[in-house]
Amino acid sequence: MTNLSTPKNLLTWDKGVVLFLVISIFIGSFASEYFATASNLSFVIASIAEIAIIAIAMAYLIIAGEIDLSVASIMALTSASVGYAFQAGVAFELAVVIGLVVGLLAGLFNGVLVTVFGLPSLAVTIATLALFRGLCWVLLENKPVNQLPREWIDLGNKNIPGTFFPWATILVVLLAGTAWFVLHHTKLGRWVFAIGTNADASRFSGIPVNSVKLGLFAFTGLMSAVAGVVYTLRFASASPDGGTGYELSVIAAVLFGGVAIAGGVGTMWGVLAAVLSLGVIKSGLQLAGFSANALLIVSGGLLLISVILPRVTEFVRVHRSKASTIKRTQ
Amino acid sequence: MRALGRLIRVREVPVLLGLVIVFVGTGLLNPIFFSVSILNDILFGVAIVATLAIAQTFVIVMRHIDLSVGSVVGFTSFLIGDLSSKGFSLGAVLLAALLVGASVGAVNGFLVAYLGLPSLVVTLATLYIVRGIFNEVGKGQTIVESMVPEELNWLGLNRLFGISYLFIIVLVLMVFAGFLMHRTRAARDLYAIGSNPSAAGLVGIPVKLRVLLAFTSTGAISGLAGAVMLARFNSSSTQSGLGLELLVIAACVVGGVSIAGGTGSVFGAVSGAVLLQTILMAIGALGIPQFWQLAVNGTLIIAAIGLDRYLSTRVKSSNIMGASS
Amino acid sequence: MKKRKSILAAAVTGAFLAFGLVGCAATDEAESPATSAAGTTDTAEALKIAIVPKAINIGYFTGWNEGAQEACAELGATCDYIGPNEITGAAQTEFINQVIQQNYDILVISAADQNAIVPALDKAREAGIIIVTSDADVAAESVGSRLVSILPSEQDDIGTAQVDWIAEAIGSEGSVAIITPANAANQTAWIAAMGPYLESQYPDMSWAGGSLESATFFANDPTESAEAFASILAQYPDVAGIISPTTVGVLAAAVEKKAKGAAVKVTGLGLPSEMAPYIEDGTVEKVGLWNPLDLGYVAVYAAVAAKNGNFDGAIGSTFTAGDKTYTVVDGGIAYLGSPFTFTKENIGEFKLIY
Repeated sequence: MTNLSTPKNLLTWDKGVVLFLVISIFIGSFASEYFATASNLSFVIASIAEIAIIAIAMAYLIIAGEIDLSVASIMALTSASVGYAFQAGVAFELAVVIGLVVGLLAGLFNGVLVTVFGLPSLAVTIATLALFRGLCWVLLENKPVNQLPREWIDLGNKNIPGTFFPWATILVVLLAGTAWFVLHHTKLGRWVFAIGTNADASRFSGIPVNSVKLGLFAFTGLMSAVAGVVYTLRFASASPDGGTGYELSVIAAVLFGGVAIAGGVGTMWGVLAAVLSLGVIKSGLQLAGFSANALLIVSGGLLLISVILPRVTEFVRVHRSKASTIKRTQ
Repeated sequence: MRALGRLIRVREVPVLLGLVIVFVGTGLLNPIFFSVSILNDILFGVAIVATLAIAQTFVIVMRHIDLSVGSVVGFTSFLIGDLSSKGFSLGAVLLAALLVGASVGAVNGFLVAYLGLPSLVVTLATLYIVRGIFNEVGKGQTIVESMVPEELNWLGLNRLFGISYLFIIVLVLMVFAGFLMHRTRAARDLYAIGSNPSAAGLVGIPVKLRVLLAFTSTGAISGLAGAVMLARFNSSSTQSGLGLELLVIAACVVGGVSIAGGTGSVFGAVSGAVLLQTILMAIGALGIPQFWQLAVNGTLIIAAIGLDRYLSTRVKSSNIMGASS
Repeated sequence: MKKRKSILAAAVTGAFLAFGLVGCAATDEAESPATSAAGTTDTAEALKIAIVPKAINIGYFTGWNEGAQEACAELGATCDYIGPNEITGAAQTEFINQVIQQNYDILVISAADQNAIVPALDKAREAGIIIVTSDADVAAESVGSRLVSILPSEQDDIGTAQVDWIAEAIGSEGSVAIITPANAANQTAWIAAMGPYLESQYPDMSWAGGSLESATFFANDPTESAEAFASILAQYPDVAGIISPTTVGVLAAAVEKKAKGAAVKVTGLGLPSEMAPYIEDGTVEKVGLWNPLDLGYVAVYAAVAAKNGNFDGAIGSTFTAGDKTYTVVDGGIAYLGSPFTFTKENIGEFKLIY
């Protein structure tokens, strides 16, 4: 499925995304005087934290050749579980743990449907998107939970003293750092790439494909749960309709970051740079006066560029090498 | 041809079985469900998704996907009302809807076929772009009944032998598309492309052209589906069609149009849509508590997908599109 | 490979450096907006006001904004209509941040989520921005996060009025069902008022299924509303009336009723321009609503009055907008008055306005 030249191109795209991030930060500062303030940058980081956390896991999943459209619902279900437990009198710390466990179980459920029952992940996670969201309504009905402990709300909203980084940044950096290391420098990471490139061949070479996939779905569930806790704190509430539509933002960011939808290719750098870029661009454009509709069009355009550009560079590269080959033989 | 016929009959068994189970099961628990009027309600309510599912079939059998249909149908349903209220004739507004849909489809098709870009990414991008353009053009207006062309209004309100004209349109489209899919070389090539893309190219199928045409057709039908949507709701706004694409894909999968490509029929797609609509109505009729309804709906869709998978011949593990590697 | 890696590493370090540079050079929040000199007039000189709806692409809020813009023009302030294109707290928070960053003086907002936007509103308040909610308020526990709320009518009145309208239509006897969005704070309050009122005032009427809970069907958009209508008829074939306290729901119910030729009576909160055809042809006898233009108009006046030091939002305080004076009551809310009702007699006039 993937030819030998593709990894090289996408590595170029990953550098491209990082470069894009740098450029967009500078453009943002020039586009609007309001962009480059400490409070705005703090806000931008806070607003992409949840997407970044889920994207870390989604990247693994897509590289391995699967997908999970129910992540936003798992995020909301975690939030609903935390709220429900807290309202029932459980200590908030314990409620958070309960929420994380719920998310992990939801991810496992997805994983079992795909690996044990052999259902296609794209279709079945559309259904679990509805199921998990439905469970949010079962838990909270139409009564959101809002009286969360003040220290926790502050954790979700304030910056690390002396900097413009929200507390959630520490979480994102730790998770991203670990994920990067595992993906690019461990056997498990190589397995993930192998499975995405050719699952059958991987199985024949001894990789426990189904177990790995099951684990990745569980990991995705857990990360969605972590994002759900961050979301709950940032919005100081748990509501059954929280986080709707986040799954498309996560997938768009992962794809923009150079992860191929066909599987087998991608880097953690690219994904993180993509998530950050999209947040930066959105903020810059918004502050420069673009409407919410314009932002939609830009998001779509960027996504297209992210897949067209590597094709173009590949085209150019092939032609250049053809030309040089012809030259050498003359 | 006979082999093809047999294949199609096998492929649709799960969804038809599911339909029978849900309909009969619900009816036994709530006899009101057995009425003809409920059946007609289901057919009336399913018209939009069924039309879009027929369109989606063309791309799914090729192992592709089109996520932009929700934005397209919402946009054209608004556009028809808007242009009609400005004095354009029915023919003109329908043509406009068709052209808008076909253009989006052609863009999708070109990017997928000739630039080799993954359809999930391309159509996700056009989903955003079309929705953004739609919102700008729409400017928060609502299309109200007085702006709906009379003919569409009439189609939405009237029935032929008790079946809504909107579903009659679906049936006609289904028969026509089904005929195309089984009898014309061009359409049969789509199945070949979905089963084995590289082999298809090697045996002389003009893959790129077929893909382009398929996406354009999907877009065109989605554009016309805007007329069905407007006829059904007698209103439209910039919120129209939001999220519809996921429901359409679920309907196709449940109906045996395997997301791995290569099999499935428009009859299956329509049946899948009808099954999902029946489940929705059944949940309401069974008096399942409001707050449980979405969870039950999701569970039943999982069951429907599982049933289809179980009764079909594929059992190997697969990638996101269900293709065995 | 090594060379590529180091280029990549350099690029990433560059990115972080850039971020850090920009961040360090960043100026902290602008000094809090200067309060105007103590004056007794309500004119606003070049005040920057942000008008933030639940979502910008909804007709109802286009009307709301029209009213706000009218007030801004009269007061000489500059008003910007900005907002998300989906009704979620998370999306609206991004625009509240924009309001903070762009140093607006006043924020007039219809809360997309009564809880989720509270932390953002608190940040806006800390930055010295005057906040008035209009049309949809924050949760009762969080009223301290805004100065005052402008709402159409007493929550109870809006609920009980609709019960009266349906009673009129069904001859005060029969069962009644409700179609409403699932998690909307306003609707929840109105429906809570409907329950006891129907039971005490109309002994020959009842809630379909025996309780308010069984009679309430949730629907968040036209498709779901139409399905809810069908579900109601399937579960309670003898239902006499349906109330829908939302413009989306009542329109869908009217469409369904006409399409199916159902006998059930429909009423609720309806936009005259949308409901006109159904009132004119008798499908629906009466609906009601307030004028969203008024909500926007009055909110801007309240905020400017506060900015000029003439109004502090305390219970009992007053302010004027146009030619009316409004008083703040319990909960920090000022009400506009009772809803208008629209029938065959007056729909012709109102359908042209909003």
